[in-house]
Amino acid sequence: MSRALVIGDGAAGTFSSWLLSKRGWEVTLAGRGTPCASMSAGCLRAAPRECRPEVLEFLHHEKMPWATGVRVGVSRIGTSYRCWMSPKHSTWTDGEAPESMAVVGLEGHPSLPARVASAVLKQRGIRAEPIVLSSSVPSDVPLASSFHNDEAWEVLAEELEDSSAEAVLLPAIVPLQDYDRLDRLERRCGKRILEAITPLSSPGQRLTDIMLSKAREAGVTIWDGRKVTALEVHGNRVGEATVLGGREARNIAVDAVVIATGGPVVDGLNLKERAIEDPFGRFQVVGDGDPLKGGYAVSNGRLISSDGRVMANAAGAGDCLRSVGREYGSGLTQAFEGAYLAVRALEVA
Amino acid sequence: MRKDVLIIGGGATGAGIARDLALRGVDCLLLEMGDYCHGASGGNHGLLHSGARYVVKDPSSASECAAENVILKRIAPFCIEDTGGLFVSLPEDDAAFADIFVGSCRSAGVPVNELTPKEALASEPGLSPRLVRCLMLNDGSVDPFSLVQANVDDARAAGASIINHCAVTGMTVEDGKVSRVEVRDRRVLHTTISPEVVVNAAGAWVSEIAQMAGCNISMGLDQGSMLVLDGRHCCHVINRLRPPSNGDISVPNHTSTILGTTSRPASSPEDTTVLREDVDLLVRETSAMLPSLRDRRIIRTYGGVRPLLGGGGREASRSFAIFNDEGAENLISVAGGKLTTYRLMAEKVTDRVCGMLGASSKCRTHLESLGRPVGGKGGSISLTRLERKYGRKASSIDTSDPRVVCSCEQVLRSEVIAVMKAGDALTLADVMRRTRAGMGYCQGFDCALSVLEVMMEEKGIEPLPSLMEFLQERGRGLEQVTGDQLRQEMLRQYVLRGVYGLEGKE
Repeated sequence: MSRALVIGDGAAGTFSSWLLSKRGWEVTLAGRGTPCASMSAGCLRAAPRECRPEVLEFLHHEKMPWATGVRVGVSRIGTSYRCWMSPKHSTWTDGEAPESMAVVGLEGHPSLPARVASAVLKQRGIRAEPIVLSSSVPSDVPLASSFHNDEAWEVLAEELEDSSAEAVLLPAIVPLQDYDRLDRLERRCGKRILEAITPLSSPGQRLTDIMLSKAREAGVTIWDGRKVTALEVHGNRVGEATVLGGREARNIAVDAVVIATGGPVVDGLNLKERAIEDPFGRFQVVGDGDPLKGGYAVSNGRLISSDGRVMANAAGAGDCLRSVGREYGSGLTQAFEGAYLAVRALEVA
Repeated sequence: MRKDVLIIGGGATGAGIARDLALRGVDCLLLEMGDYCHGASGGNHGLLHSGARYVVKDPSSASECAAENVILKRIAPFCIEDTGGLFVSLPEDDAAFADIFVGSCRSAGVPVNELTPKEALASEPGLSPRLVRCLMLNDGSVDPFSLVQANVDDARAAGASIINHCAVTGMTVEDGKVSRVEVRDRRVLHTTISPEVVVNAAGAWVSEIAQMAGCNISMGLDQGSMLVLDGRHCCHVINRLRPPSNGDISVPNHTSTILGTTSRPASSPEDTTVLREDVDLLVRETSAMLPSLRDRRIIRTYGGVRPLLGGGGREASRSFAIFNDEGAENLISVAGGKLTTYRLMAEKVTDRVCGMLGASSKCRTHLESLGRPVGGKGGSISLTRLERKYGRKASSIDTSDPRVVCSCEQVLRSEVIAVMKAGDALTLADVMRRTRAGMGYCQGFDCALSVLEVMMEEKGIEPLPSLMEFLQERGRGLEQVTGDQLRQEMLRQYVLRGVYGLEGKE
């Protein structure tokens, strides 16, 4: 079996490793393993036509529990969040907004500031009432830790019984492997159950998390908290990678590499005048020739070294490919597209 | 509304005047267009001067600072850290200046004590081993927000009325006197006030206010930039032993270190913009004295506009003056001065006002305490921290509730509640300023929502405009950051735009 190393556990790297694994490669995914380390954790905002049908078919075939179409959700501060793909309890179909909402917050926990969100929702014409439950979860501990048993969910369901609201907005409390709890709560209360969109539970972040668990199921070896510090290049092929993890560095032999390390500052962020090339520390290719620095060039999905060689067995995916004029929120679409092209390029090679 | 005295401006000087008048039993009203410390009282590096910095060129300011330094340490010890100040010269500095400096300190009555380089490095290990001479002076670190708030609270307790977020918009002069003053508060309510005497203590805005009554006051407006570094990187205030120049000062302040300053002409009182070159200069110059500063994380930049007498720049006097124009004989304007001399300025202005009103009682602001010293030994860390921020009011905070709303500054939920109860914290920014929530790495991005949620419970406010106003203010301080703090800023922008959908509104 051919061995592939995917560097970067954002959306592009995760999707690449999942695709490669499904196509029979022996895949290792190395990344920092920190949520929101990447800009791709954001959202999928682009229209469906920009997403390649093969990608959508693949996601459909693999039964992702998500809703697509023009979707609208509520951020944790009550503002509206529009996207094209999300977990089904994060958003509603555009035009089908609930008229009234009970907003559930936990006292002293910042996950969903219910009074703030309700006030903002009211201004948007949605009748909202805050329900603030007492809580003993420290503010820096995720709420999911106290919603892992049936008892906690039963208490929540009882609290919601008295509310006359059409829908309930919850903080992000359900672990992804337990997603059907929200379906059960919906049936139990007879109200639409929605999760507020927070920085750590944005549709893009959750999509990446689900893909990561699917990749693991498909047999990908996931090395999180590891850093690839060097690639040994011979002619136009990458032969070895140096991986740093904990105190040890080791060299592993690879047949193909996907670089999905994130990349240039998004134009929409308007940070250009700060003369920052790339604030996320770059990784370098060593070997004969100059090191490559952020903003890789590709030809048919394959990486081009800075001296013009088309690398036979290295491909780039996602934001490490410099793209000018890219809109904020199109990162996931590009991640899918880049990952798909990278996998195809490696297979052709 | 009738009041004997109207004070315009809620910086240190205005608040000091209100306190002084109230302690002398004079009926007064203070109006501040923003929150207290809106101008230079908030836009400085929190240095309690020994006077030494001005001792060569401006000995009268130096003597004023030296005397007030002693008084403030006595009356407001809770918000002052008596760190001592070191003046350090390096091989490239003019050797003759140090001798002139020591002589000038002696003749101006500024206490000075020389340390050998070895002693200096023992007491301040971060200093550059290149140092040639080191003098120890009485500089200290002061929290201007706490100091001004304490003056406001004390003035109120003595009967003064003090209103923030209320701007003066016009004046009517009749028979050579200001007869009516028009004001507008945050909720756009208009009203007029007819005081006996108007005191213009508007700092950088003093000319604009005087102009409303047809009086001209010539001021030099001078912008200075400062950097906030995460953590305390010196134990003393560190000064450069050379003629006052850019990037001379490093001040330990609460959980941070403040580097200052620069000097350039300001086009208006609002022209506080910090430039990229200011940041580079401040890091370069201060790290010559304290080499480790070069690699520290800059969590924020900010600027202030100095209202200087006559011209501007480094050569201008740091002294103050009181103006009284024949065109409006009941309008007294005060300009110039330093944060360190605010009380003296207030005393002199109050003497004049009392003279005009025929009131005769004497100043007591140098005798009456603003708060007791912080109990360092044996007291709990949290109480010590609370006393440093709130002085006397610290005891009213419920420390039995352990919930924290800002993890960088360890601000308790009950601090927010206590601040809201005082009634003059109207906006999120007001609460954050009083509690120090949001002064750490995240610059309020993490904790603003938690604070807002508590505010919503205490009092109905519109959350989104208050949040936007606050984030906009913090965002200005992040425009010039680099490295780790830029990564933090990118995360902030991503969440604001990508998750909260506030793009373009900020």
